[in-house]
This record gives sequence, C-alpha cells and structure tokens, in this order.
Amino acid sequence: MKLSAHIALPGRKRTASGPDRAPVYAMVGNPNCGKTTLFNALTGLRQKVGNYPGVTVEKKIGITYSQHGRPIQLVDLPGAYSLAARSPDEAVLRDVLLGRREDTPQPDRIICVVDAANLERNLYLVHQILDLGRPVIVALNMMDMAAAAGMKVDAAELEGELGVPVIACEAVHGRGLVELKLAMSRLELPLARHRWDVPVPIAPAVAEIQASLTDNDARSPLIARAEALLLLTDFDTVRVAGSKPLSSRTHDLLGQWRQRWVAEGTDWSAVLIRSRYDAIGRLCRDVIRRPRESGPSRSDRIDAVLCHSVWGWAFFAVIMGALFFSIFSLAESPMNFIDEHVAAFGTWVKGTMPPGDLRDLLTDGVISGVGGIVIFLPQILILFFFVGLLESTGYMARAAFIMDRPMSKVGLNGRSFIPLLGAYACAIPAIMATRTIENARDRLVTILVAPLMSCSARLPVYLLMIATLLPGDVVPATTKAGLMLAMYALGTGGVFFFAWLFKRTLFKSPQQHMIMELPPYQPPRLKEILRHMFERGWLFLKNAGTIILGISIVLWFLTTYPKHPDPDATATAQIAQSFAGQAGHLIEPVIKPLGFDWRIGIGLITSFAAREVFVSSMGVIFGVEGADNDTTPLRDALRGAHWPDGAALFTPLVCLTLMVFYVFAMQCMSTVAVVQRETNSWRWPLFQIAYMTGTAWLVCFAFYQAGRALGY
Amino acid sequence: MPTSPIPLSPLCQLPAGSTGRVCELTGDDSFCQRVREMGFGEAALVTKISGSSTSLCLVNGTRIALNHRAAMSILVEQLPASAR
Repeated sequence: MKLSAHIALPGRKRTASGPDRAPVYAMVGNPNCGKTTLFNALTGLRQKVGNYPGVTVEKKIGITYSQHGRPIQLVDLPGAYSLAARSPDEAVLRDVLLGRREDTPQPDRIICVVDAANLERNLYLVHQILDLGRPVIVALNMMDMAAAAGMKVDAAELEGELGVPVIACEAVHGRGLVELKLAMSRLELPLARHRWDVPVPIAPAVAEIQASLTDNDARSPLIARAEALLLLTDFDTVRVAGSKPLSSRTHDLLGQWRQRWVAEGTDWSAVLIRSRYDAIGRLCRDVIRRPRESGPSRSDRIDAVLCHSVWGWAFFAVIMGALFFSIFSLAESPMNFIDEHVAAFGTWVKGTMPPGDLRDLLTDGVISGVGGIVIFLPQILILFFFVGLLESTGYMARAAFIMDRPMSKVGLNGRSFIPLLGAYACAIPAIMATRTIENARDRLVTILVAPLMSCSARLPVYLLMIATLLPGDVVPATTKAGLMLAMYALGTGGVFFFAWLFKRTLFKSPQQHMIMELPPYQPPRLKEILRHMFERGWLFLKNAGTIILGISIVLWFLTTYPKHPDPDATATAQIAQSFAGQAGHLIEPVIKPLGFDWRIGIGLITSFAAREVFVSSMGVIFGVEGADNDTTPLRDALRGAHWPDGAALFTPLVCLTLMVFYVFAMQCMSTVAVVQRETNSWRWPLFQIAYMTGTAWLVCFAFYQAGRALGY
Repeated sequence: MPTSPIPLSPLCQLPAGSTGRVCELTGDDSFCQRVREMGFGEAALVTKISGSSTSLCLVNGTRIALNHRAAMSILVEQLPASAR
C-alpha cells in the first residue's frame, strides 16, 4: 500500500503545515524496551527537552538525518504498555498519536520499539498503534537479550505477518541503526496488512462511535475506529490539559453505550484485550522459537541475592551508604571550588564597579543568590549519576521493590521511594521525579512530604549550628556526625509520619495496587548515564537558577531599603532599618517562645528563598557586629551574641531548636514554585508551607520549652 | 457428575518456586485492565520467585513485582510440578 498523500515526505512539499517541514517520527514503546537508548543513538546530542504545555510531561525532540541527509524530527514519547492511559505520561502518548493535542502535530510516521525478548507483550501496544492506519516501522530491539534467553525471533517472518518494515537491532551496541535509518528514509512505507476483527457484540457500538468521531470530531476513518475502541473500553481514561475535548454528540453516544453495557454486566474491556492477545499469539506462532528447557537466567540468579529478604536489604544498605558517602564527601572539593570562585567573582565585581546600589544588587543579590544554588550542582550531578547508574543496571526497580514493604506501612508504595531518595540531595528533582507515580493521590502525598527529607541546602545550617553548639577541640567528630544523623533521621521520620497522616485524612484511599516490571540486569552504559546526568543538571540549573535569581533580587531589595538615614551606618544598623529588619522585629513575638530573637528572625525570613541563605544572613548580621576582628569565625560571633538582658542568644538549646526548625520548615521558594507547577495550583504549595512551617513551630516550641523546663 | 471447583488462592499465597494459572482478577476495573494488558490476564502462567508481602513473579519471561494488595487481587490455581 502506498503512503497516503497527506504524509510529509523528505523533500516533498507539504501544504497543510508549511512547505518542506521536516517529517515528524514518533518513537513509542513499552517501558524498558530500550526506546530512549535508540532515540539517543539516532539523535546524538541534537536533542531538546521541554514540557507539553499545561501538563508536566517531558517533551523530548531530537533531529536525525535520513540516508539522503535530510532532517527528520524525532519525538520520544513516554513509555507505555497500552494506549489506555493510566497516568499523565500515557495520556500524552495517546493524545499525540490520536492527533488530540493542539500543541503537537500528529506524527507522520511511528517507530514502534519492541523488546524482542518479550515480544508478545510489546506487540500489544504495536497492535493498538497499527489500528491507527499510520505508517509504522517496528524496531525489534534487544535481539541480544532474546538470544541470551535462548530465543530465536524471526524479524522477516514478523515483517511478513505485520506487513510493515521490521528492523532487528541492538540499540545498546549500535547494531541495526543503519538499517533503521534506511527504512526511515524510504519515501513510501507500506501500511500494515494487519487485520483483526473486533468482537461481534461490540461492533455496532464501534461503528456508531467511529461515524460520530468522523462526522463531528473531524477524525480520519481509521483513527476514528481506533479511538472508538479506546473510548468504549477504557472508561476511566486519564485526561490531561491540552487535549481536544470530544464533541457533545460523541460524548452522548458514548454515555448511552456505556450505560447499556453496565446494565448488561459484560466486561468488554477484558474481551477486547483477550481477543488482541489471541491475534498476537497467532501472529507470533512462527516468529518466535523458544528453547525447550531453560534454566534460571543471569538476572534470575542475581535477583536471588539482591531481592533476598536478608541479603537484599544488606546490599540495599551498602548502595545507600555509597550514595550518601558520595554526595557528602566526593562533592566537597568541587563545592569548595565553586564557592571560592563565586566569592572571587563577587570580589572582582566589587573592585571593578563603582560603589552603589547597582553594584550591591549584582554582588549581594545576583552573584551570591545564584552562587548559592550553583554550589549544590556537584551534589545534584552525583545524585543523578547514581540514579542513572541504578536505572541503567536495572537495580532501581529492585530498590523500589525492596522499599515497598516499609512504604506500604504508611499507605504509599515502592514507587514513591525513588523520588524520596532524590530529595536527600534536593527536593526539586525529587518532585519532578514523582511524575512516574500513576496514582494521583499517592503522587500528591509524595510531593507534599518530599521536602521533609533533609536536602543538601540544610547542610550549611546544620554545620553552622553544630559548630556553634559543639566546640571542635572538645567534642569528638563522631558526636557531631551523630547529631547530623539525628537531624536526617528526624526528617525521614517526618516523611513517614506525614505520609501516614495524609493517607489517613486528606487523601484517604485504600492502598493502591502496585505492579511493576523489573527489567533484566544490564552492564551500566556510561555514556547514557553521563548524558542523563548533565541533562538533569542543566534542568536543575534552569529551573532553580531562574527562580532563585528573581528571589535573590527581591531579597536584596528587602534588606537594602529603606536606607538608613546615616550613610555611614553599619551593615547591622542598615539591616535593622530595612524592610527585612522590620519584618524580623515584627515576627519576634512569634519566634521568641522558640528562643529566637529578631536577628534570627531576619535569617528565617531571608532563608525563605533558600535555606542556606540563613548562613550568609547570619554572617551579615553577626559578622559585622564583631567587626573589630574580621577573622573571627562566624560561630564565635554567634557564641558572643546576647539578648538585651545579657543572656547568651545561641545557647546549645537554641542551636538545637534552630536545627529542628530547619528540619521541618518549608524554607525554599524554588520548591514552592516547582510544586505549584507540578500540581497546577497554588493550593498545595501554600498548604505545604502552612503544614511544614506550622509543624516546625510546634515541634520547636515543645522542644525549647521542655528544654528550658529541664534547666537547659 | 459435577466436577469439584478448582481451589483458587491469591497470588501472594502461592509458594515460592511454584507455578500457577491466573483464573480470576478481583481488583478494580483499572487494575484488571492494566494487568491484562501486561499479559497477566486470565489463563496466563505465573511462577512465583519470592516474597509474601511484596511478590516477585515471572510472567511470559518478564519479572514483575506486585505489592500485597495487587497480589491479593489475582487469584490463581496452583499447577502440579509435573504440569509446568
């Protein structure tokens, strides 16, 4: 069959969406089928990562070139088992393929990536896609894994059965890419010979909905048939922003058929899935040859240890230990490097520019604010290196499997573990990683509790308070480490407590079903891990950096204006006079019961932008107070700070209370912004600020007052 | 003479190392559809690898992890060792 006329071909003029538009290929496939590896192999570094407007689903577009050197746009669509969407990711896949999204053109051709070692299940999605009547190329990936399992998969036979090009490949080793590109370069692609009849009892409903979709929703007949099948058998489908709504006529018809079937009590969805699998079974009869007897595979043998009830936990503990060790020790040198260079750059700007507000805005606002975020980049990169390593080897799914049991105690499941793990470095990528959680309530609970995990921005505050609290020469390092660990344990305990509480109150729902595929173990692919690491690092800088830049400027304004009447006033006097200083005085009655004065109040206010700002604020406020001796470390300045009545301000109890405050309080504007974006509402970030900071106040109040009562 | 009904047990109770045939799915529609679409529907053969609260199984050559609730919703008939 010839390629239909409406499809843009390389070099051919296209009238519908502009002349000479590069043809758009969509890449689709099940999770773990090697789709992203193939996408990377085809596009190299020519990739752009964005978002589908209105939904927080990643849009990955790359450019590859045909054998004739013409550009081809390649869209990497989210992985899915079926077009029946259960998560926003899958809904975007479905909507793009069905042409339901106004922001994304319907792809001209579709590359279906399938795992040769698991062909039947992967062909289920292909079967649904062939219904669309679009030109399809099947990339039969992971042929090496199939061979390792003793299977023989006949690509030519499959091509004969389906009637579309089937290219055997191994994306990991770069095999089959030339053949795939040749197929992609073909001016004409045959349309599928695949025919299958829908079960007779639902045929009239399909015909009626199909006709309505064609007449009232401007769908082409084949797409209308495929969409009718989906609509009729996928009643609880997920809808996302950006999808074109159905016409009222189609909507009404659908309602009538649903009512009729509900009354009849027949599960047509199950019948349809079974008939598809039957068709796939017939199709694969001569395509796959399996070994008669097969012993346990390599992955089975590894799983026997790594998923073992004892050894599995031991290995998990080692991996987590290595992760923490790397984040907090390997990152130290590059962090110091960045810190020194940001400071040196600030000094250079200070020395180069004439004194004035613009110079202060650049040095104290922009450079120190953005520098404060950039400094965490090494930790973020190390975290993503580990995440990439664990994902690429297949261990990440096992970690979620192992953590499922403790997570289930608080009403979540193993899927929430991966984002929460990331939150130890930074809540922003962690919240973005919740997108893979199918259940909306579980996802929201995970987003709400993730910032309680002690992120790396809390470290400078903990370190300063521990240094103030415990003199280095008297107290052994283990005591300090123990105190630090206690703060991490408190944050983690908070995560479990609030997840438990939310799942029993606000998001009351029975425990969700979790069903998750564990991919076979594979050697790590360093190139892919590094690519993932830098891609995520850049997204982090872009997301957090831009927000922090804005907030830093606002904060600088709040600490600089109104100006002190005396131009020679000290920095402390200036801060006291500023809006931030006034706010510090204003909140003093609220924070005094926690042992904090107005100067700590300024730190609390300024560090609402980012927790680590507390340290620099304390530096400005107390460092300048002890300006007689510039070399006095900040901790000594803090130790020398007093209340007006002469009592020490930073008593051990106050230091501990401050640490506890930072464990619980929502002191991060970037996280607020990301939560707003991910939940599409201000309600949840505001709720998060209220519950976290409210908890921080209550816990600190109880802690401080109890400490006082006990004589500390 | 009527045949005796096949004894069905939830997947979480299937002993590790044994194989069963999926006979009935009892979860909500959305879960049942997902399970069927993953090739785990009625008549599929499933081998339990390990686990009691979270189960690890082998279905059509794929390792699948299920939490306790999911494993409770899948009713299987245990096959004798000779029938595998």
